[in-house]
Amino acid sequence: MSAIEAVHIFDEHNNLLLTHTYTGRPSPPLVLLPLYLQHAAPRPSVLYFPSLHPPTVLYSIVQDNLLFFSPSSGNDTEPLLVLEFLHRVADALEEFLGSPLLASKIAANYDIVAQILAEVADAGTVCHGEANALRDVVETEPGVLNNLLGKVGLPGNAAVPGLQGGGPLAMSGSGGGIQRTGSGLSALQPAQTAQGSAIPWRRNNVKHTSNELYVDIVETLSVTLAPSGRLLSAFAYGSIAFTSKVSGVPDLLLSLSTGGKGAGMGNRGDQLRAVMERTVFHPCVRLGRWKTEGVLSFVPPDGRFALCGYEVDLLGPEVTLTAGKSTYGSLGLPAGVEITVGLGSSGNEFEVRLTQPTTSGGGASIATASLQSNLSGGSGIGSRSSSYKPGVGTGDSKAPSLDKFTVRVPLPTAVRSVTELRPSKGEAHWNPVDGSVEWRVAAKDFGPLGAVLRCTIQGPLAADGDGAGAVLNGMTATTYDYNDDEPASAYQTSDGQEKQSNGVPAQVSREAKVEKSRELMPTSTTLSFSVKGWLASGLRVESLLLDNKKSRGLGPEVKPYKGVKYLTVSREGIELRC
Amino acid sequence: MESISRISSLLETARDLTLEAARDAGPRKSTRPLPAPQIKKLLDSRQEREVLDGLRRIIAMQYANPPQATLTFFPAVLKTLSHPYPSTRPLVYNYLIHHAELDPDTALLSINTIQKSLSDSNPRVRAMALKTMAGIRVPVISQIVSLAIKKGVSDLSPLVRKAAALACVKCVRLDETTRPQVEEYLAVLLADKQYYVAGAAVQAFMEVCSTERLDLIHPVYRRLCRMVVDMDEWGQLALLKLMTLYARRCFPRQTKRTKRAQTREQKARDFYEDLEPETQPQSSEADYEEISIADPDLTLFLTSIAPLLQSRTSAVILAVARAYLYLGPSTHLPAAIGPLIALLRSPQDIQQVALHNMVQVCLAQPSLFVPYYRHFLLRSTEAPNTRGLKLEVLTLIFPSCTPEIQSLLLAELEHFSRSPDPALVRESVRAIGRCAQSPNPTSSRRCLALLLNQLHSSDDNLVGEAMQVIRHLIQRSPTEHRKTVIRLAKNLDHLTSATARAGIVWLVGEFADGAGDEVGRSGGVAADVWRILAKGYAGEGEEVRGQIVGLGAKVYLRWLNQRKKEKEEKMTNGAGGELLLSPTVEENHDGEERGFTEDALTDQSAANAAQQQEGKETSHPIELLWQHTLLLARYTPSYHLRDRARLYRALLAIPSSTELASLLLLAPKPVPQAPSPSESRREYLLGSASLIVGEDLRGVALPEWVEEGREPDAGLRDEAGDGLAEYVGQRESGRAGTVSAGERLDGLLAPGGGVGPAKKGGRTLDAWLDEEEGKESSGESEGSVESEEATSTEDETEEESESESESEEAGLVK
Repeated sequence: MSAIEAVHIFDEHNNLLLTHTYTGRPSPPLVLLPLYLQHAAPRPSVLYFPSLHPPTVLYSIVQDNLLFFSPSSGNDTEPLLVLEFLHRVADALEEFLGSPLLASKIAANYDIVAQILAEVADAGTVCHGEANALRDVVETEPGVLNNLLGKVGLPGNAAVPGLQGGGPLAMSGSGGGIQRTGSGLSALQPAQTAQGSAIPWRRNNVKHTSNELYVDIVETLSVTLAPSGRLLSAFAYGSIAFTSKVSGVPDLLLSLSTGGKGAGMGNRGDQLRAVMERTVFHPCVRLGRWKTEGVLSFVPPDGRFALCGYEVDLLGPEVTLTAGKSTYGSLGLPAGVEITVGLGSSGNEFEVRLTQPTTSGGGASIATASLQSNLSGGSGIGSRSSSYKPGVGTGDSKAPSLDKFTVRVPLPTAVRSVTELRPSKGEAHWNPVDGSVEWRVAAKDFGPLGAVLRCTIQGPLAADGDGAGAVLNGMTATTYDYNDDEPASAYQTSDGQEKQSNGVPAQVSREAKVEKSRELMPTSTTLSFSVKGWLASGLRVESLLLDNKKSRGLGPEVKPYKGVKYLTVSREGIELRC
Repeated sequence: MESISRISSLLETARDLTLEAARDAGPRKSTRPLPAPQIKKLLDSRQEREVLDGLRRIIAMQYANPPQATLTFFPAVLKTLSHPYPSTRPLVYNYLIHHAELDPDTALLSINTIQKSLSDSNPRVRAMALKTMAGIRVPVISQIVSLAIKKGVSDLSPLVRKAAALACVKCVRLDETTRPQVEEYLAVLLADKQYYVAGAAVQAFMEVCSTERLDLIHPVYRRLCRMVVDMDEWGQLALLKLMTLYARRCFPRQTKRTKRAQTREQKARDFYEDLEPETQPQSSEADYEEISIADPDLTLFLTSIAPLLQSRTSAVILAVARAYLYLGPSTHLPAAIGPLIALLRSPQDIQQVALHNMVQVCLAQPSLFVPYYRHFLLRSTEAPNTRGLKLEVLTLIFPSCTPEIQSLLLAELEHFSRSPDPALVRESVRAIGRCAQSPNPTSSRRCLALLLNQLHSSDDNLVGEAMQVIRHLIQRSPTEHRKTVIRLAKNLDHLTSATARAGIVWLVGEFADGAGDEVGRSGGVAADVWRILAKGYAGEGEEVRGQIVGLGAKVYLRWLNQRKKEKEEKMTNGAGGELLLSPTVEENHDGEERGFTEDALTDQSAANAAQQQEGKETSHPIELLWQHTLLLARYTPSYHLRDRARLYRALLAIPSSTELASLLLLAPKPVPQAPSPSESRREYLLGSASLIVGEDLRGVALPEWVEEGREPDAGLRDEAGDGLAEYVGQRESGRAGTVSAGERLDGLLAPGGGVGPAKKGGRTLDAWLDEEEGKESSGESEGSVESEEATSTEDETEEESESESESEEAGLVK
């Protein structure tokens, strides 16, 4: 029914890394791989191979360049269940082996991977989805993780403090550690310490020497602009990643504020819920309190996890199509992009312009503007309170820092080459493989005047020269018209018109050229950037409280270190049509 | 849907990944391989560390690619089970499960040790032992496994009970004969108070019994409904599936015909009744509507799964949407649309599957998706598959949108129809065509205008696609589009796309000719188009040539028919003098025609001769044109076309008998249908793999609603008492309404709280057995209902496929 039959993992060169069979006789990975690779590049995640025996449905995901397969040959399965399972496996592997997942890490730790795979599903029935709770059951030698963490230098070293701390406190606590004192017979296995975790997503007996809490809010932009510059859609997809390194069982309360948006919509919770739409939560979040008070109250898993996902409609909930509000500037994004096509004498040039959007200015007071210019070294322009404020900051929320901009212009396949690339700033190059122009501008080069890139493109060989005449075949001569007004002239054919067209051949060929190169012009362009310390939605973390009364195993005097990070990313997320 | 690995990939820049990858790019480091004797030595060691090291090496060998032979270590590995270190256990068990099938005899040696571990003091060890024992795929031990499960079912630790639930699946897979025992165990486990044990039991139930032993569910139905919020995602998924099937089987759809509710408009109308008396007599059919009355137990289920819509697992959200769609579409489905839309932010693999399912929901209830149209706007970076599905949603919601949104959607489609990607062009032009089918005449006129504009494009591909769609639209209502056909004919002088030209010529022959009737003279536009095209015949492609000949045949035939009619009219009306004249003319003509047909080469001379003979009676231009066209066709390289021309000539040889030709050429053509692409997948269940791949994969079909009066008694769902009170009590202590697992655990974490073990395991089992016997009769009656349902659904699918093939045929015939 819903059984997972096997998991196959391939590395980035499509070499088989490992295969784990749960039940039945699934198709071997080396049979599936060529069938999978037959499909064109963005490969569907669900494929059906009726030619195999037995007919197999193949589910696949790609995570950190690794390819995960799960074949299913029995009855109908739920595709999302299998795909979610594969994502969970990837998450669990990451929890143990560190992020990013690399083929070499898996190959060096087959024993851990084997235990994880055996634990997450029991004979094909998915039964253990929580990566953190797996720490209670999977045996890892402390040396293994230490080596791994020490040598490879993990960025997401969630488990490090627990394992590295050499003191008895840390040793007895960490679920992964096995204490070896004396002969080894008295080894303390974590499983023996408790009946099993009372909280399904949190491992037992968490002990940290330094207690830390981090909130990372990441928003991914998805903005679409019409050729006229009008906003068609503007969404920010947000995720809150939470890192908890607190001993015992902490009970946390996270309050967010909207930064002025959604004002006048009832209490703070209502405002928040109006801004954060279509939320999804980690099972630890108490939905009742979110519904009533608009706060996130939860007992976190240990380490890093995805607390919440939401989306924000940057156009606002009740925007009408005719509203003048929906201009790009009103979003307060750090940069805008414009494109003009069909320039030059034969219409084969186009120009991309990177601009600082002119803000609507409606809500911006002079006071804030001047304040900003003080804060950010004079480069500030009057903008709304929630909009991005340029500065050379370090990425904290007071002075957001901007990474470089990347503009990508996909060109039609008919384009033979891009002969001239003239960027006013930054560097641009044409990539013939995927047929696109990429232009990078460093944030520090990008001033209020913006930057311009002009390109000349060249079409296929046949289109050059006198192709124009050949395109319009013999039908040019036979013109007829059926307008009701002029029935007499309608039957006048050929001669006069022929003369006309012969009279101005130069004009025709120029028009034809322009017409021809219009087909070679790009139809869209995308802008990518990332801003640290700023959120497009204007959300802020108001407070993160540790409820000392409800928490267990944590001294009353413990004050964990709290950190907040904001990040707004546009990965080809701002798209302009033309 | 939210996965931490995805977020961390956003947080860490791509540079980090490449750097690390570069560092590890060298040959894969793995621990130096040791020769087999040395590994054996490690396993025999007394040091825990050495044993572990040996086991690790063996596991690595087992997983390495290419796999190395590890079977030789079997006895040595099993020997380590006697060590007291628990740390080696997981690895040994892993090895055992992997190799047991290859060497069953050796595997059996381990059973005794594992059985000992079943009564270990550590619950985790017990659970692991139970799990491993059931996992050994050696059928001989099925009875031992069954006994072990029986013991596990009444274990104090929920961990072991969960392992027992999952072992049930393996036990039945091992040996079918254990099924009756396993079903008993499951009945006990389903009633467990621990939500994660119950969740696992539901999963096991779905695997073992699927849809058969629904009688086991009755007594735990309400309890499971209340527990669902706390279960883990996988338990929730199994439960949602189970309950959706259960509800269809056990709750008859009770509908009440009531007078349509007093909507505000209605009330207003009533108020102004005296002003508009004509609205009065309409109250026949429309004022009544079917209101479904949900069973309170069904409502309990539907409301208790509502909090799951905020799950982070996409599969759960979809499963809730499925339950709402099939169980209570009008009342609950709207709440599920927003969460479904949220699935669009998930990773691409999940997004694709989610879109397929959204289209399915959208087919049923398009209007619910209208507020979210912005989410379906296309992006240039998307995969072709995703684009197609998004376009489909946009066209499905198009009829229910406001005019502003409609114009925005059309502008959107127009933009993408000019894309350089031919597949996208085709998709979007077809989407415009589907939009044009909307019942609102203004919007469909706009779509048509848009398509007509596309004809001026220099992109042959686009023009060809647009023409195809225009042709379909005109065929659907030819009378409205007479002018359009004429406008299209005008385009013939600059169009270059052969398919488009052929399409227009066909349309002219089919629909423009009728216009001539009103004018009175034959031919009209069609004849003139024909004349001009005949001039350029040599320059046309084969497709267009064929259509020119066809056009000629139709015009000529119509002309013949008309002349015949005129003559008949003259015969009847004129009576007198003309009666004398006409037969001679007819005869003359006949002679002339025969002359042409018998020897086409001499047609000119014959015509000249005829003209000379008749003097004033010159041959009609249409006739001459027809001869000319036939002559052209006769010297065409393509013999297919020459063949067709011969057929036409034979058909139209005798001007007085045109009945057969009329039947062949002027027959009304079937109107082509352009259904939404996913229409063919409509019968597949939401959330199934069949829906995604588009082929039936033999899933569990959704049963029809049970007939009223044949459903199991609602009293069966009354709970046995004690369990209910306890569970409810716990819930009441928390906040009313939706209580998350975390909140409930607060209570458990309180000092002295502890997880309450089930003390009455044995007793309840007996109670269950007693109950089983009492209920068998009801189970039987259910069985018969089920078989009936199965046949009825089969019939339905057959009918559907028939109608489908018909429509396909219709589409093929132009």
